[in-house]
Amino acid sequence: MLYVPVGVVFVNAVVDDGGATLAFVREVLTDPFYFGALADVFAEPLSVRHHLASVAGWLAAVSVSVSLEYPLPGVPLPVPVPGLETPGIRTGLFGFTAYQAALSTVASVALGLPAAYILANYEFRGRQTLRSLTILPFVLPGIMVAVGFYAMFGRTGTLNGLLGVGGVGPYPFIEWNPLAVVIVAHAFYNAPLVARVTVAAWESVDARTVETARSLGASPRRAFRDVIVPQLLPAILTGALLTFIFTFMTFPIVLALGGLQLATVEVWIYDRVRRLAYAEAATLTVLETLLSLALTYAYLRYESAQSGLARGAGEPDREPLFPDLRTALSPRRVAILGYGLVAVVVFVGPLASLVAGSVTDGSGLTGRHYAFLLERQLEGADYQTLPWVAIRNSLVFGVATLAVAVPMGVVVSVVTVRAGRGGAIVDTLAMLPLAVSGVVFGIGLLRGLVFGIPLPGGWRFQVTGAVAIVFAHAVAAYPFVTRNVSPLLSNLDPAMVESARALGATRYRALRDVELPLVASGIVAGAAFAFAISIGEFSSTVILAGGGQSYTMPVAVERYLGRRSGPAIAMGTVLLAVTAASFVVVDRVGGRFER
Amino acid sequence: MTELRLEGVSKAYGDTVALEGVDLTVRDGEFFTLVGPSGCGKTTTLRTVAGFEEPTDGAVRFDSREMTGVPPEQRDVGVVFQSYALFPHMSVAENVGYGLQFREPPDGVTVDERVANLLELVDLEGMGERSPEQLSGGQRQRVALARALAPAPDLLLLDEPMSALDAQLRESLRRQVKRIQSTLEITTVYVTHDQAEALAISDRLAVMNDGGVEQVGRPQEVYREPATRFVAEFVGDNNVFEGEVCGGDGEYSRVDVDGETFTLPTVPEGTDRVTVCVRPGALSRSAERNRLTVRVETSEFLGETVRVNGRWNGTDIVLQRPTVPERDELTVGFAPEDAHVVARQ
Repeated sequence: MLYVPVGVVFVNAVVDDGGATLAFVREVLTDPFYFGALADVFAEPLSVRHHLASVAGWLAAVSVSVSLEYPLPGVPLPVPVPGLETPGIRTGLFGFTAYQAALSTVASVALGLPAAYILANYEFRGRQTLRSLTILPFVLPGIMVAVGFYAMFGRTGTLNGLLGVGGVGPYPFIEWNPLAVVIVAHAFYNAPLVARVTVAAWESVDARTVETARSLGASPRRAFRDVIVPQLLPAILTGALLTFIFTFMTFPIVLALGGLQLATVEVWIYDRVRRLAYAEAATLTVLETLLSLALTYAYLRYESAQSGLARGAGEPDREPLFPDLRTALSPRRVAILGYGLVAVVVFVGPLASLVAGSVTDGSGLTGRHYAFLLERQLEGADYQTLPWVAIRNSLVFGVATLAVAVPMGVVVSVVTVRAGRGGAIVDTLAMLPLAVSGVVFGIGLLRGLVFGIPLPGGWRFQVTGAVAIVFAHAVAAYPFVTRNVSPLLSNLDPAMVESARALGATRYRALRDVELPLVASGIVAGAAFAFAISIGEFSSTVILAGGGQSYTMPVAVERYLGRRSGPAIAMGTVLLAVTAASFVVVDRVGGRFER
Repeated sequence: MTELRLEGVSKAYGDTVALEGVDLTVRDGEFFTLVGPSGCGKTTTLRTVAGFEEPTDGAVRFDSREMTGVPPEQRDVGVVFQSYALFPHMSVAENVGYGLQFREPPDGVTVDERVANLLELVDLEGMGERSPEQLSGGQRQRVALARALAPAPDLLLLDEPMSALDAQLRESLRRQVKRIQSTLEITTVYVTHDQAEALAISDRLAVMNDGGVEQVGRPQEVYREPATRFVAEFVGDNNVFEGEVCGGDGEYSRVDVDGETFTLPTVPEGTDRVTVCVRPGALSRSAERNRLTVRVETSEFLGETVRVNGRWNGTDIVLQRPTVPERDELTVGFAPEDAHVVARQ
């Protein structure tokens, strides 16, 4: 199911008029627009001396300086900025994509580690809830988060609104530095991921190993450095590597906040597809997929090398966060509070701004954004993007995705858990959808199934855009079903099924009476995830919907955003409401947010 | 009721042989124990009887019925696992009553009555509405036992049911299991790695090692007359010597052990090499024959007695003494009648 569309893309990249060719690939590799300075290397791979000379020349021109700057205009606050003067280096599209991914990774780790520290070491009300919520950004629709950041940092956004109360601004934050906003948005997504994996590692550190180090003479700081840090590093690296992979394949956020001026590979591919340059798009796609697969492979290798680590028995003790006023004023607690404020701004800010932005404009409360949606629905022409059609499509696709993804995810789970060692391979293969971007998958489906695959005997295998969208959503969603069902399934004591059978139940009855009830919560939680993924999926949908009628809520948000931000923000809020509702379901059934 | 027979049962997983030619007969109403170190095949034997594993070779019979190919749900066996395997999403009563959906309760009672009777039998009256999670380990164990017994199975199979419990609880539960078993007169196969437990609870037991049966017998027989060196060392403390027969006078045989000559009960004609087993309690300072001077290494105070570990001629020796010895060396002996001699091939 996954491999056909991806295969179609690969074939597209190397076949021209029925003949195999590497011309497209060579063209892209040697074009400085895509690979910057490296294009030269791909063009003449053997002239090593020439390449070394250019590297040496570049290094010779690097200069380091420190200067005072005033980052906030109108505020006389000098900040020393270390300046690294490098002669312009042409990074190209791939270089820039990697560059922003690296910056995003640094930002995500920087924002995620303090959260991990607090969650793992302090006890406070809502700690469990917060810990569970770290999975949430993962399924929040990217386009919605992008609009949320727009609602926060935009010219009429909440930040400017707050500054306006103080009499400064408004500032065009996004226009000033779109890259910075994009990176913060990426951190919104990935810092919780980094925090999750790190907290999990931290909690599995056996408290007794720290006590042993202390009894052997290590100070608390030394024990932390010698015992805890080495056990956390693998998790931090895992989180960083995953973040890099995800932000390398970033699409909706850059599309909505940066546009073509900040184009990453994915955005550029999308643009090529809209201009019907399929061969070029396919070639870029192949190169991108190869890169992301290589990274994913590295990640999986790394993860399996780490899985042999012993699981600690004793969880570390957690201190109360604010036991009394005196402790609350200690430097450490104040730093935690400060971090909390930053976290609130980054994580709550965009979502709150989204909701606030949908009912306000520059001058105060208003209902006109929703009114616009209503009006468009009632009076809009067929070729326009109608809100109700988008909502209806989203719901229909969501339900259809459930019907495909849930059985698929459960079957993969059963095979993985039952198959023992072979299961690990199945598990890896089944998780590959996470490594192939939605845009790539969308193009594959479009070129393959929607345009049709010729079959022997003059038949064509062809599906409509709507079917292809469900297909794409199901592939993106089923890993979440598997991730939720597998742990429950593997925790099932096989002796339970055997007991049922010894008591007279057939294999089928044992499945119905014992196994299913015990994994039911995982299936429901997985289904809610699958639904949320389908509702929020943007990358393949926007390609498959094209200019047609099978657009969904996220696609509608993007189309509105192109013209007016108010209705886009209102539409984004509707999307948030639907997504939130599916999470209430997860919570009600005691679903596992954990992997 | 039911007699269980295993005839030449073998089980291999690929190249690994788990069972090799096991022959056993468990008599009607008997409490029969399979005991041995981990990996000896005792659990595989039990699982073969239950039908969770099919033998690669040989046959399992309940009375005269050949059970090969019969799925577990049609075998009429009750199984209790070490992990209890209670269904966590069902109440205690639902757990106990689960098997009664597939088999009529015996003696014409209703399902509810049967469940209540069994909970009473295991001293859990009135606990039916609880969830298994609210119970202690010992209580869970008894629920698992009640659940296995509810459909009145032909055979009761217990797979290390006590090993997750602490020592005192284990002993009291063991007595309760034994009492219930003899009241119901149900043919029972019990698997354990604890030889003391096996001696205490069984009518008969089989000592297993390396996928095969070393010895079958009543506890006293296995303890007093171990058939092999393995059994001698596995069941209870024992002092084991290897020696060669070097003479005899009709009443006793003389056996050379590392240059010392022991006087032992007569061995059969033609026996050359023997294994000699002497229980620690049989080594006394007053015995006049078979004297050996043991170098004392450690002493363990056990309450009633002191266990002394030492060396003699390169062999480990275990002694039982009333007090901790004050000297480094102890000279003890044993009467020929207290030694058990096994011929070696």
